[in-house]
Amino acid sequence: MSQRLDTLRVLLRIAVRNLVASRVRTVILGLIVLIGSLIVVVGASVMDSIDRGMRTSIQGSLGGQLQVYAASSKDPLALYGGMMGMSRLDAIDDFAKVKEVLLKVPEVKAVVPMGIDQALVATGNAFDQALERLRGDARRVVAGEAGPEVQAGYQKRKAHVRRMVDLLASDLKQALAIVDQEGRDAPERRKQGEDLRRASADAFWAGFDADPFAALEFLENRIAPLVMDSGFTFIRYVGTDVEAFMKAFELARVAKGEPIPPGRRGILLGKQYAEEWLKLRNARRLDQIKDARDRFGRRLAKDEELQRWAREMLGRIREIELQLDPVEAEAVALALAPALGAPEGEPLPGLLTRLFTVDDATFDARYRLFYEVLAPRLRLYQISVGDTITIKAPGKSGAFNSVNVKVYGMVEYRGIEKSGIAGNTSIMDLQSFRDLYGFMTKEKQAELARLKAGLGAREVGRDEAEAVLFGAAAPVAEAAQAAAIDERALLAGVGEKRASAVAAADRVYAQDEIDQGVALNAAVILQDPRRLEQTRADIARASDAAGLGLKVMDWQEASGMVGQFVFMLRTILIVAVLIFFAVALVIINNAMVMAALQRVKEIGTMRAIGAQKGFVTWMLLIEVAAVGLFFGLLGAALGGGVVALIRASGGIPAYTDLLFFLFSGPALLPKLDPASVVLSLLVVLSVSVLSGLYPAWIALKVTPVEAMASEE
Amino acid sequence: MAIITVRGVTKDYQLGKTIVPALRGVDLTVEAGEFLSIAGPSGSGKTTLLNLIGCVDTPTAGSVEVDGRDTRKLSERQLTDLRLHTIGFIFQSFNLVQVLSVFQNVEFPLLLQGGAGKAERSARVLGLLEAMGIREYATHRPSELSGGQRQRVAVARALVTRPKLVLADEPTANLDSQTGQNIIDLMRDMNRKDGTTFVFSTHDPKVMAHASALVRIADGQVAAREQLNGQA
Repeated sequence: MSQRLDTLRVLLRIAVRNLVASRVRTVILGLIVLIGSLIVVVGASVMDSIDRGMRTSIQGSLGGQLQVYAASSKDPLALYGGMMGMSRLDAIDDFAKVKEVLLKVPEVKAVVPMGIDQALVATGNAFDQALERLRGDARRVVAGEAGPEVQAGYQKRKAHVRRMVDLLASDLKQALAIVDQEGRDAPERRKQGEDLRRASADAFWAGFDADPFAALEFLENRIAPLVMDSGFTFIRYVGTDVEAFMKAFELARVAKGEPIPPGRRGILLGKQYAEEWLKLRNARRLDQIKDARDRFGRRLAKDEELQRWAREMLGRIREIELQLDPVEAEAVALALAPALGAPEGEPLPGLLTRLFTVDDATFDARYRLFYEVLAPRLRLYQISVGDTITIKAPGKSGAFNSVNVKVYGMVEYRGIEKSGIAGNTSIMDLQSFRDLYGFMTKEKQAELARLKAGLGAREVGRDEAEAVLFGAAAPVAEAAQAAAIDERALLAGVGEKRASAVAAADRVYAQDEIDQGVALNAAVILQDPRRLEQTRADIARASDAAGLGLKVMDWQEASGMVGQFVFMLRTILIVAVLIFFAVALVIINNAMVMAALQRVKEIGTMRAIGAQKGFVTWMLLIEVAAVGLFFGLLGAALGGGVVALIRASGGIPAYTDLLFFLFSGPALLPKLDPASVVLSLLVVLSVSVLSGLYPAWIALKVTPVEAMASEE
Repeated sequence: MAIITVRGVTKDYQLGKTIVPALRGVDLTVEAGEFLSIAGPSGSGKTTLLNLIGCVDTPTAGSVEVDGRDTRKLSERQLTDLRLHTIGFIFQSFNLVQVLSVFQNVEFPLLLQGGAGKAERSARVLGLLEAMGIREYATHRPSELSGGQRQRVAVARALVTRPKLVLADEPTANLDSQTGQNIIDLMRDMNRKDGTTFVFSTHDPKVMAHASALVRIADGQVAAREQLNGQA
């Protein structure tokens, strides 16, 4: 044994001395090894942390540990949308059965039904909203609620609408002036011009109180369509058992408003969705610029995107003006003028232009000014908590279905608040989803029957069709009368028809009713997430045994593109590392071949003196292994340092939405994983030994005769 | 007792397409304790014969017996062991391991052999360095020594395992004549003191004169074997 040790000692001594003797070569090889091991350590740590972050984000927001859906579906499930938009899934017809079967599988803690889809949501525009409010006030005045506040509110709204009409008229004046008088739609354009003139005339407003409903009718039908804001936006939602959902997904929390009461219909809007799609554009841009400046140190002076955002704000000043009634506009102007250093009496548009003309020096002050002075007087989001919104979606048949749901609040996902991937998803009750998606709920069937009866619809046979539909000849002409719209009569009718919708909104559904019906997929929450694979198999077995026809996916697969992105990232890293080490292998191999060839005489001498072949082979292998081990350790230590440095500097900032989601937070704090250190050492050692094999083989082939060669 | 028996040995080298005969039938016997010089012009086959005797090469035909063992019947590993335990080598260009100190170079064969403890190794190495007159250089690297000093280290390394046979191929060729003389004297001393057999090749008549026997080689054959007095 001590003999082996002695041999090893002399081998090591020769290896180390040779390395020291050819310092330049050693340092070059060492640097290659060091960089390689550094990349592996840092790369593996970062990837591990991304993995953890992604796990947290997906499992905690929508994925759970496992997902099940109908195996007959053509597309795979993609929780966050796939390459082709939403994936089309066949429905799970009886969720209650699925729940019952799956809950019996060991380790399954909860099964949450889901239906993820996109829909349109009507937002209306500022003009529509103002008219709606004015109509409400008018109704109260007409009904005789003549309190001073009611009157004040009515007058205020009226002034607001008039201001809007004036602004609109001045906006459209030029457009209407250049209308081609001979064109096909010239008469219509002329009519629009006249309408606008009429609506902005003093006479119109003087006569408003005499017949407010007629005046409103005119404004709604003739003026409102001239406002070009779109009134629809897309919404992505998950229809689910809301109570079970909030319990199962720990990252989800109500950020604003209140949770949907158990069993009620309702929706919680994705907070991030509201920020991105429903927020007043200029407020959103201010937020974005602030975020870019504060978190990423971007500057308006240098950043083209920020400059674009800033320019965009100037083009959207009218949007803000429209929201303010004359009294508010005055108050705002009064508050803004001194703060902006504007001359007294400068009109509001000029002040707003000043406010939104920002540079790096003024931005923070302007941001504060906007939120302190303007924001409290504005409707910052197109949809507010407490509103009832109309959601429309094409159902299975292709026809549009729509439901009215109350917005109870907004939902955000802890740690990934700023990411739209999860945060764009709103949470809606399952019943409303079933209505939207076009599944006949029991309620719906009942309502349909009631409607049929109410309208007097009946089956009409072919032979009697003519008689029934057209009946006996009767004089039609005299029936034509001037159509006068009786607002009160209409309202009364609406009230009755709405009764069923109101009833639906107020109804409390029992757990059975929620469970019994369709879902598109279901998230499975496990007691112990580590037993995922085992449970996955168990669920598949249980599903097959019960004939449920389900496909089981783990959270990563189910996440679709998001999961694939991480897979891609990992692949890129691995390929980069492979290429790096392939190059390293060639370089180290070359250098060691040179070393072996330079030492042919020395190796021959050793062989002549009595060293076995193994000895000289080991001599070279130990030499490269020593380089690998020493510099590999150094690289790993340096990698640990880099990781610590990244952490100390606040982590890798999440520049994009996707990264925010993957990092499960605003920055990635990589954690040095001992396994990655071991891995890097293993990789580096095997690469160096591998690259020492050919030189070692050369050494093996050196015969002792080489020692005798007498050159010099 | 013969330590080397060479019988009917031929050695051919392939040089491109032609076969060059280096030895054309050599018979030679060396008795234990001899101080034998092999002489002959360049290309006569001296080195080839030494390589065959030193078990670093194998004959094309004929047999070489070293210390009673037929080299044809030994494996590569056994040949290596035979070199390690029975033979010491001294090279024309010294062939020291550059990265090892003088002491470590001399100690090297002992480490390959194993078995000797640290103290014993140290005693033997230092004893030999003393005998060679280079003890003060024990910690030096070969590159810091003169040619004569290096060859003394090489001699020490060849002797440290107490081999029965020391082979030296032109040990003085790279030294000036006075230094070469000294090396031969050292070898002769060792030969007398321990009875170690020395076989060395040379083409220097002054060096030959020290040998106890002289074998002249010409054209791959033994031309003559002379018994000399070999005064030191």
